[in-house]
Amino acid sequence: MSIIEFRKTSKHFGDLKVLDGVDLSIDTGEVVVLIGPSGSGKSTLLRCINGLEQITSGDLVMDGISVRGGKKQLRLIRQEAGMVFQQFNLFPQMTALQNVAFGPRKVRGLTRTEAEAQARALLEKVGLKDKAGHYPSELSGGQQQRVAIARALAVRPKVMLFDEPTSALDPELKQEVLNVMRQLAQEGMTMVVVTHEMAFAKQVGTRLIFMEHGKISVDGHPREVIENPPSDRLKDFLQHVE
Amino acid sequence: MQTDWSVVLTFLPQLLAGAKITVQITIIGLLGGIFLGTIAGLMRAYGGRILNAIAFTYIELIRGTPIVVQVMFLYFAMPVLTGLRVDPMAAAVVAIVVNAGAYIAEIVRGAFLSISKGLSEAGLALGLPQWKVLVYILGPLAFRRLIPPLGNQFIVSLKDTSLFIVIGVGELTRTGQEIMASNFRAVEIWTAVAVIYLILTGSMTVALRVIEKRMRIL
Repeated sequence: MSIIEFRKTSKHFGDLKVLDGVDLSIDTGEVVVLIGPSGSGKSTLLRCINGLEQITSGDLVMDGISVRGGKKQLRLIRQEAGMVFQQFNLFPQMTALQNVAFGPRKVRGLTRTEAEAQARALLEKVGLKDKAGHYPSELSGGQQQRVAIARALAVRPKVMLFDEPTSALDPELKQEVLNVMRQLAQEGMTMVVVTHEMAFAKQVGTRLIFMEHGKISVDGHPREVIENPPSDRLKDFLQHVE
Repeated sequence: MQTDWSVVLTFLPQLLAGAKITVQITIIGLLGGIFLGTIAGLMRAYGGRILNAIAFTYIELIRGTPIVVQVMFLYFAMPVLTGLRVDPMAAAVVAIVVNAGAYIAEIVRGAFLSISKGLSEAGLALGLPQWKVLVYILGPLAFRRLIPPLGNQFIVSLKDTSLFIVIGVGELTRTGQEIMASNFRAVEIWTAVAVIYLILTGSMTVALRVIEKRMRIL
């Protein structure tokens, strides 16, 4: 059953076509890895799903709700689609626990006690039980990103969107974040991940999409596509990221 | 030249009464100014074209004219235009509200816009409406950045009340002027007036330091 559906979706910034008539259907349980050179539109594709970027034409439906349906519909979509950012974007005035409890309290209307109990469980899940009282500035990048994942999960989304979640991290910190993502995929979470981590794509991804000039140029099974790139452009790209 | 500092003691009750009026104008004026400035600043930062244009016009009108002209207009021109008698104290308070509001609006706008766009996106991505993002995420962060420039504006506004001598409000400077006119003790009286202003602005500075220390700027 498809949960995210792009229908001839285009996004223009002035004359620049960042997304050019994309047709794409993502099913529940898929782990879709988006790759492509910078400026190919992969981040924009992701950000259109939860309406952080507005689409110019076509339609984009998430869990039966169109992103063009207005503000209220957009908020519903955002509650169903958690997002993790490259720069973590944790709220600096709140502790790890408060960051994670914030969404459920303000969006789902949970009481502080309920939200914090749930937040503690989520922090434990991402391996940061003992960091609940720490502020983001007191955590490493990898820890901050794991808190950010817990924060997104706290709203109980059906889909998780990852926008280059490990690009701002040192190599040794990447793994702890990728491990949490791997665990999430194993639990059956539907995920769309923009990344350059090819090992992760091969191991965890169920589908790999290569984007070029705002279009999907390759769409296939990660292992097959990585081992036998169907286009020279992709072959060239893979050589550069490996 | 003979100085006689005992005149300061003699006239201290009068000077303190003047200082009290100065403080009253400043506090009420700044409370109003913060309210008006926050609204105008948010209109500038997040309002659509029309709200933005209204706030911009207000700010430029006020920043582009001297406060003495503004209070003269309120006190002498407004009654002519509206037929209502304006009380000098009310004119003084309104002048501070309107004047400080324009400067505070720019401070508020700057503080909000200085916060990384990513934080606002993180809030929106959770499914929060824009106003909750402003109130719960950006507001508390912007508030911390507001304190230093706001402190500056508080001190400027407090000293600006001395200009209301032109409409005859019995604030500190006016009181000093009146005492002077009766005994010509310029050195003693103006020294005393200056010291009282220093005590007032100094207390403000100390209070703001305390608040600033309690709130880390993030």
